[in-house]
Amino acid sequence: MSGVIGAFRELDSAVYAVEALKKERLGEITVYTPTPRHEIEHAVNAPQSPVRRFTLFGGLFGATCGYWIAIWASDYWPLVVGGKPVASWVPYTIFGFEVMVLFGALATVLGLFINSRVPRLTMTVGYDGRFSGGDYGVWVACPPEKYAQAQSLLREHGAVEVRDER
Amino acid sequence: MSSETSKPGVKRREFLKVVGAGSATATMIGCSSERVEKLIPYFVSPDQTVPGVSTYYASTCRECASACGIIAETRDGRTIKLEGNPDHPVNRGALCAKGQAALQGLYNPDRYRTPMVRRGGKLEKTTWDDALKIFGDKLAEARRNPGGVAFINRHQSGGFPQLLNSWLAGMGMAPALSIDPDADTTAIAANLQTFGVAWPRYDFASTRLIISFGADFLDGWGASVPQQLDFADARARGANAPRFIYVGARRSLTGLNADDWIPAKPGSELAIVQMLSGASTPQQAAQASGVDVARLTALQTEFAAAKPALVLAAGGGPNGMELCLAANALNGTSGAVSIADAYRGFEGIDPVSHIRALGQRMQGGGVSMLMVHNVDPVYLMPKSSGFRAAMAKVPFKVSFSSIMDETSEMADLILPDNHSLESWGEAQAVTNTLSLQQPTMDPVFDTRAIADVLLAVSRTTGTPIATMPDYRSLMISRFPGGAAGLAAALPKGISSGSVQQPAGSKALPQPVAAANAGNGDFTLLVYPSPALGMGEGANKPWLQELPDPVTKIAWQTVAEIHPATARKLGVENGDHVIVETAAGKLSLPVYTYQGIREDVVAVAAGRGHADSAGRYAKAGSNAFDLLTYAEDRSGSIMLGSTRARVTKDGGHSRLVTTEGSARQHGRGIAQAVVVGQLGGTHEASGSEHAAEAAPQGSVSGEQKERALGEKAAAGEHGGEEGHPEFPGDASHEFLPGLRSPTAKDAQGDLGGPGTKSKEKGMYDPEHWSGMARRRWAMTIDLARCTGCSACVTACYAENNIPTVGADWQGPKVLPDRTGFGANITRSREMSWIRLERYFEGGEDGGADFETRFVPMLCQHCGNAPCEPVCPVYATYHAPDGLNVQVYNRCVGTRYCSNNCPYKVRYFNWFGYGEPARAQYAFPEPLNWQLNPDVTVRGKGVMEKCTFCVQRIREAENRAALEHRGVEPDEFTVACAEACPSRAITFGDAADERWTVAKLVNDERAYHVFEELNTYTAVVYLKKVNHPGAMTTSPVAAPEVH
Amino acid sequence: MATMARPSRVKDEPRRPNIASADIQLPAVRDYEQVDREISATLHPTVAWFIGLGVAILFLIIGAAAWMYQIYTGLGVAGYNPPVMWGVYIITFVFWVGIGHAGTLISAILYLFRAGFRTTIYRCAEAMTVFAVMTAGLFPILHLGRPWKFFWLIPYPNWRYIWPQFKSPLVWDVFAILTYLTVSSTFLYIGLIPDIATLRDREKNPVRRRIFGVLSLGWRNSDREWRHFARAYLFLAAFSTPLVLSVHSVVSFDFAMALTPGWHTTIFPPYFVAGAIFSGIGMVFTIIIPLRKWFGLKHYVTINHLDAAAKLCLFTSLVVGCAYMTEWFVAWFSGNEFEKNFFANRIWGQWWWASAILYTCNMVLPLTLFKQSWRRNPTWLFILSFFINLGMWFERFVIVVPSLSHEFEPWQWAGYSPTWVDFAILAGSFGWFSMWFLLFIKQLPVIAISEVKEIVPPKLRQTHDHGIDSAGRHLEFEPSTPGEAD
Repeated sequence: MSGVIGAFRELDSAVYAVEALKKERLGEITVYTPTPRHEIEHAVNAPQSPVRRFTLFGGLFGATCGYWIAIWASDYWPLVVGGKPVASWVPYTIFGFEVMVLFGALATVLGLFINSRVPRLTMTVGYDGRFSGGDYGVWVACPPEKYAQAQSLLREHGAVEVRDER
Repeated sequence: MSSETSKPGVKRREFLKVVGAGSATATMIGCSSERVEKLIPYFVSPDQTVPGVSTYYASTCRECASACGIIAETRDGRTIKLEGNPDHPVNRGALCAKGQAALQGLYNPDRYRTPMVRRGGKLEKTTWDDALKIFGDKLAEARRNPGGVAFINRHQSGGFPQLLNSWLAGMGMAPALSIDPDADTTAIAANLQTFGVAWPRYDFASTRLIISFGADFLDGWGASVPQQLDFADARARGANAPRFIYVGARRSLTGLNADDWIPAKPGSELAIVQMLSGASTPQQAAQASGVDVARLTALQTEFAAAKPALVLAAGGGPNGMELCLAANALNGTSGAVSIADAYRGFEGIDPVSHIRALGQRMQGGGVSMLMVHNVDPVYLMPKSSGFRAAMAKVPFKVSFSSIMDETSEMADLILPDNHSLESWGEAQAVTNTLSLQQPTMDPVFDTRAIADVLLAVSRTTGTPIATMPDYRSLMISRFPGGAAGLAAALPKGISSGSVQQPAGSKALPQPVAAANAGNGDFTLLVYPSPALGMGEGANKPWLQELPDPVTKIAWQTVAEIHPATARKLGVENGDHVIVETAAGKLSLPVYTYQGIREDVVAVAAGRGHADSAGRYAKAGSNAFDLLTYAEDRSGSIMLGSTRARVTKDGGHSRLVTTEGSARQHGRGIAQAVVVGQLGGTHEASGSEHAAEAAPQGSVSGEQKERALGEKAAAGEHGGEEGHPEFPGDASHEFLPGLRSPTAKDAQGDLGGPGTKSKEKGMYDPEHWSGMARRRWAMTIDLARCTGCSACVTACYAENNIPTVGADWQGPKVLPDRTGFGANITRSREMSWIRLERYFEGGEDGGADFETRFVPMLCQHCGNAPCEPVCPVYATYHAPDGLNVQVYNRCVGTRYCSNNCPYKVRYFNWFGYGEPARAQYAFPEPLNWQLNPDVTVRGKGVMEKCTFCVQRIREAENRAALEHRGVEPDEFTVACAEACPSRAITFGDAADERWTVAKLVNDERAYHVFEELNTYTAVVYLKKVNHPGAMTTSPVAAPEVH
Repeated sequence: MATMARPSRVKDEPRRPNIASADIQLPAVRDYEQVDREISATLHPTVAWFIGLGVAILFLIIGAAAWMYQIYTGLGVAGYNPPVMWGVYIITFVFWVGIGHAGTLISAILYLFRAGFRTTIYRCAEAMTVFAVMTAGLFPILHLGRPWKFFWLIPYPNWRYIWPQFKSPLVWDVFAILTYLTVSSTFLYIGLIPDIATLRDREKNPVRRRIFGVLSLGWRNSDREWRHFARAYLFLAAFSTPLVLSVHSVVSFDFAMALTPGWHTTIFPPYFVAGAIFSGIGMVFTIIIPLRKWFGLKHYVTINHLDAAAKLCLFTSLVVGCAYMTEWFVAWFSGNEFEKNFFANRIWGQWWWASAILYTCNMVLPLTLFKQSWRRNPTWLFILSFFINLGMWFERFVIVVPSLSHEFEPWQWAGYSPTWVDFAILAGSFGWFSMWFLLFIKQLPVIAISEVKEIVPPKLRQTHDHGIDSAGRHLEFEPSTPGEAD
């Protein structure tokens, strides 16, 4: 994993840099921003996040589990209480719902972790603490022979600091 | 188990076997105490006792003079429950609260464990040899001056008084005084004079009108239990029942059962009786009694019309003797008094004036030795009589009391007697019928029967009165047929014959009038507490905790005054007033009661013993302290003649009461019908015409079914009651007689087509256990219930219910509560069945109010609201209709109680069953009484009435062992078994052979809060009212909107 | 607002931006560095903080001691007075669950509604939610007769296959509360991850840096992370929304499913939810107003934010008031004797004082929020919030106690008075809650750094002497914190 990282003070210059780099097809681009910015999203133009599928299936599974535990447990010892049906599905909807929410939410978090590759144990190359503060970082993953071109591109778009890492 | 008692047959043979051999072997084993510490203290030889299986001994109750027959259930050598003996002529299987509580006299922690002797001014334990030696020596001294010896004996009929007197006579001493504090000696004297018997049997059933002048024949006046049985039977006769009018200054429990109450001035009853006898005019009577003329005229005309009428009068007033004689005269002609069936147990009771006279002799130093047996004169004699001081002058005092009390505290020598459940004896129940008394277990402590002591001493002192070693052999020697005859008779508990009673008629001392009746605009009325009597019951926590049937006060002494009086004084319930008489003053919390005259203040006797009388007895205040001592012509103490001043005092105490609101607020909990509304005679039966005849407000099952049936016919498809069929629908009619959704619901979602039986489990009627084919149910006939509360104590005894009112059980952990009954002021009493007492009418505080008693217990609903809210299945519905409570599974969310409309679930706030705790409810040896078939519930769990499930299962198991089904009415539950009104019937409503199955279809049947669709298994039969010309209180059932 | 009609007054009124649509929400916040600087500055413990923490722990110890005493001696030491079988503990349970609702409402529901004013206060509210639910969760255990058996309410596998009774509302509670606790704490943590990353990168102390590093899960602020983060956050919010509504509905079933007069009513779920949100916002005020002062965050949590929150508070107060009025109507309209009788006793009888407190605090006092100047007066909001907390506690008191003390069976009517044990444990619950919250505010940012950055103008290449809004549009320079002179 090697490439060039450029740090920008301003949002617009980072955006322009990204667009330029994309034109040059120098390699995969990762942008570090202190906060999610639509400008960057548009510039990077990444596909729709798949997290929602995790949510859907988590929820469906949860609802099933909720109903199942309540009905199965009631039927295991069929004791009559208050003349109610042994397995009364109406109140058991509550379990269906609650467990749906629980599993759905946990599945969503799972989806987030899987898709955005967290938790990660080590900071990979190219990251700098400033990027969680005020600065924007643009990382181009490219072979060493393209370093020069990438660095010049970043500089001319106003990167305050540019360096290559491996 | 005790189910035996209600089903003779099998039981008898067992008795013959067990007790016959038992009594034979008893000679060897006897009543010795070496084995007390053994786990199973055998009275009968081991081969007779199967561990875990109950043995039953027929014996005689000695708590009052009536001599009821009891059957003592003994498990592993310890007596755990008393039931009435169904074959006994007096109580016919019923037993009152006092009788039930005899067990707590037997196992009382305040009993003397050994003989005691006073050395250096204080009582010390000693051995029997030592004690008997001292006793012998003192007797030898005393015999030099036999005139100086006095013996006060607790009255009891049978052979013992005879033995005692011959023992005394042998030493040249005067016969013993025979004292029964509870007996109305005035009435007895009058009866002897009129009828020649001490206590005749009153034939309530044959009368048309009962008029009682302060005679509380349901709560302590004479032979309460048989009188209650007769009264209830008479009143249950619907249209043929007698009307009942109560005349008196205070409406007692008996008064609350009357149709009308005439609040006459205390002491003016005589004037009214004279009016009835024609000796005076209503005007004069009205003038004397403060009752308006119209009312008395109505009474006169009604009395004239009603033949036969029964007039009962009690002593205690200034002219008690004259009153009783006049009343008896009125009865002389009516034939409602049966002399042949007289209760002979009341013969030979000496009036209290003898003790007073003895006190005077002691004061004068004329008594050198005093012997007292199970009487507590120091407590009984009002301070104003100065008895205590006089007794202190006696050089040597011997007490045979088996339990601590004020008198034995002053004694120099205590030779503790066995409890009546540990001793042999007999009682003269009725003419030519002996009620036999035998030990039901080894003595709990190192005590000896007084008779055996006397026999032993008589030998040592060289004046043998009998050759027999002990009283039992004396009985045998007297008994026709000897040992064999006795062994044959013991299982029945009765035998024909009679023992000679000592001539009770000693010269009556000249009665003394009140030294100073005092002044004040109130009359003080001291009445024997229905539960504690004149104080003998005060050391029994069951009786202390039992709410007074009238005031519902427990553990506390209150001053009862009329609400109007309270307003005048500016006090409310619980505020203290000072009741002051010439004899003394007490500061008591007020209880406002509209069943009392405005110029009367009433205080119940029995509480407020000295600390020396034990840990329980000191609760409350002693009403005798207020009494100025005076006697009527019969030598009996006057309880209602002292004048008193009542003034507001500072301070307030919470009333220790179980009463919430005394009004139903139109909720139809206790419903009633006017006798006219009844369809024909209502003699309990599943009468077919019930529904038509049922009055409005009736909720007879049949009526309901018919109505709904029509709806179904009108096109509503589906269930028996015209409800659409769907799984679990609560409205399924599963069993006849009582609607129970049980089994249908189990099938509700499981039992679709093709459901295998095993999936329905025990809820399947075809299941081999057959449980689902049963529906345990209960009917409670409010026309019979008198509110006596015997069922409550029976339940405490059967189900190990802890008492929570003792002064060490609450305050330690309830910072804002103090004294006795602290837990009860937070409504934490545990009684699974409670007597609710609702007033109807008389909202203005007037005398025209009606009282309805409702025994309220778990209703075992078919649709129990408590069940579905329990998160852990700690309560669920058993296939046989029981609402089951699983103590071990309960986590104590108390949600079930919140959701119970009847509020019949009780929570263990503390570890009442843990000996290490301050709240421990069964201090040794009270815990010996605990029923081994019933769990002692732990801290933090919910409990409630189980319909005595242990009895149900026991009966089922016995039936299974004998390869038969449970026979109809084979057994019953504790409350029903004890009930002296026979108001409670228990059984299987699904099997029409059981009595209950008929009763649930009675025209008077209704469910409490039926509109809640709880489908209760407890069916109440409406009270029947007999309004008279002057009755204005409401008589029909209030409608629930 | 009749006064507003007078033109003269209108002239006097200063221009007040509508927070919901304001272009600039935090004019006094210049750039990202300022955000980092000012917010991480709040994390340094002070003496006052230590004292506060000490007091909280003291209260906690008192409560814990009282509980141990109760477990040993038995539940009787509390003021229970049958038939009042539920008391202070259940009341306080519902109270804390209610508090717990504002957080998720603000962070989730307002997020879906894109309500701008939530950004700066939601972290506080969310943390409050988690700790409040942690507190509430103690009480159902604490009020058990045999608390050591509480796990019997949870369907854990056991060899006898004995399960809870799933028809019991109490088991519904177990599921609802545990789900709510899990989801809301997850929600809080997910929102925290980028901020922890920021702290990690600022931290000098190697130990804390390591801890932050672990907690931040190696977050790098990359565009891919942000992309999934946004989706996940959206769906969590979408789940939390019905959850908020369901949890207190389920809690209300504890009462509504019983047939006790005063409990057996269908209005409870919406009534409880509204009440919960109302009380939650009250507690938010109680917490946020001193916090913004002590932490010098007035230019983050501006008067405009408080104003908007106050409007929400007023709205929920009106909903709750409507529910109270409905109870009057039902008591009359139902024609049910039990209901009527009980309600009369609640309003005029035995419990009139409790009802009076309830109506005053929850219906009357919040009406002051109709006046904008009151809404924008932090001191009043702070005082009012105390009345709201009190009133909402008494709402639950009025629901629990009067109903139980005056049920179907007149013979069993009774009173109720708590003992010192009840109060000690109540105090302990506040200690427990405060302890967690105090620990939180000094370890983690009480304002969502990364989300605040979203509404702070980003640096652009050509410099300006005036502000630039979040969309990069040029604005005239606005120096001060609007609406508040400081």
